[in-house]
Amino acid sequence: MTDGPGDLVIETGALTKRYGDSIVAVDELDLGVRRGEVYGFLGPNGAGKTTTLRMLLGLVRPTSGRVAVLGARPGTPQGLGRIGAMVEVPAFYPYLSGRDNLLVLARYAGVGGDRIEAVLDQVGLLDRAADRSATYSLGMKQRLGVAAALLKDPELLILDEPTNGLDPAGMAEMRDLIRSIGNGGRTVMLSSHLMGEVEQVTDRVGVIRDGSLVAEGTVEELRGRAGLTVRAEPLAEAARLIRALPDVDEVTSVDGVLDVTVDSSRAPVINRLLVEAGIAVSELYAQQASLEHVFLELTKSGGDPS
Amino acid sequence: MTRAVSAELLVLRKRAATWILLGIWTLLGVFFAYVVPYALDPEDAAGGVEQFFPESLAGTLLAGFPFFGGVFALMLGVFALGSEYGWGTLKTLFTQRPGRLRVLAAKLAALAIVLVPFVLALFAAGAVASGVIAQIENATISWPSAWLLVRAIAAGWLILAAWAALGVLLGVLTRGTSLAIGIGILYALVIEGLLSAFADSVGVLEPLTSVFLRANGYSLATALGASSQNIESNGPGSFSGPFVDSPQALAVLAALIATFAALSALLLRRRDIA
Repeated sequence: MTDGPGDLVIETGALTKRYGDSIVAVDELDLGVRRGEVYGFLGPNGAGKTTTLRMLLGLVRPTSGRVAVLGARPGTPQGLGRIGAMVEVPAFYPYLSGRDNLLVLARYAGVGGDRIEAVLDQVGLLDRAADRSATYSLGMKQRLGVAAALLKDPELLILDEPTNGLDPAGMAEMRDLIRSIGNGGRTVMLSSHLMGEVEQVTDRVGVIRDGSLVAEGTVEELRGRAGLTVRAEPLAEAARLIRALPDVDEVTSVDGVLDVTVDSSRAPVINRLLVEAGIAVSELYAQQASLEHVFLELTKSGGDPS
Repeated sequence: MTRAVSAELLVLRKRAATWILLGIWTLLGVFFAYVVPYALDPEDAAGGVEQFFPESLAGTLLAGFPFFGGVFALMLGVFALGSEYGWGTLKTLFTQRPGRLRVLAAKLAALAIVLVPFVLALFAAGAVASGVIAQIENATISWPSAWLLVRAIAAGWLILAAWAALGVLLGVLTRGTSLAIGIGILYALVIEGLLSAFADSVGVLEPLTSVFLRANGYSLATALGASSQNIESNGPGSFSGPFVDSPQALAVLAALIATFAALSALLLRRRDIA
């Protein structure tokens, strides 16, 4: 497989990971991350995010399915040399300083020592670089993890829950850092369950539940799924007409307004339909559902992902 | 590969456990080879008082490698790989450029290099101790030939390397340090000793004893001057045979290192990293 311009940097097909006969961590996952985008990988705890990332990095062997990262098989030097990664809690030698930890990784990665100071500066750890990593706070370890991921100046950055354990200021800093990394032309795959984080930094989002991708699109596209709000008179007649439309999933009457589950781009069609039927439409607007609301809808147990 | 080895040497060099093991091994090695037996009754020692003189340096020191030194090397091997599981650093290393087998190769190479000062430190400390005893006894100080010393140092390194490779395998197998060290010491203290004892009466076990670490280590040590009587009365590491000839011992130890490394590679390659 190749990774020419404009194509997919990460591509999986029916990617599956089973543990024994009963546990399916990742279930026939079809995922595509485009070159240069910041891709948010969302899912509740235990949805299969980390297992997927581990498979992308060659740490976990898939049970079945296809996977290519930067055109290479996961875990091979051809791919790993161009990927920076931080999976779950960053792990370092506790007795080595932050700088020495990066030196070990730089030697393994075949990277010059000058990159170490550059990435330490980038994540704001220069002043503590000589201290043993065991003395670092969780937030500092997260930053060291990002520094380690940036060492190779990678084309693709895979970050698993990078703001875990950070205070609000640290989270904001990390978001800025990720945004700046993404603006630099790199592809970033960011796994998280924090909606605010994903909403602010990603170009596209994939939502995983029980090991399967249940939705994928831009944040706006995903929000659009929440539908339209309609205030009209008579309400019952309006509800009957809207329900009859072929692409409307659900119409519910709440507090004198209708919540219509339909793509928000259908608003003009619905408006015309109601007006031509002589119904007085006083309000009709796309619901700006929060990503969190969409996420909860998509990932609730047994919930309809549509 | 050179950079990967230098990375591993940094990891080992900056680890306190490496220096603690080196210090304890050197001190206790001299203590049990010279200080204790000389203090108890030098004339009663298996090789007489001469075993404490510089000329017997190679044999006297090598007698401590197959069991006592082995346990230290085993721990060093376990720490080199087993700790990586505990810290979670294996996943960090495996997401750098080299593949898993190259990481393992770098670790084994670094371990092999670090074992050299372990051997040299004991020989240096033993030389000092034997010189002091010779002076106390008013004996002429006569050193073993350089060729014998080189062979003894190489043999000591090979014995330690075999035990360290076993430690690496146990560290990978158990994905940690505690159980790996426990199993390793159990093997060193009990399994080899018991099976060797039973081998006298159970014929089918006899071929097995010829591939044991201690059997081949002690065979190599006796070929370079270690006293078999001394080895028989060597406390928990005592060994009464059967001894094999030195080419066989060399070949078996080398084969054991290769086998342990290959099994470690197989496990590391096939298993998922949590």
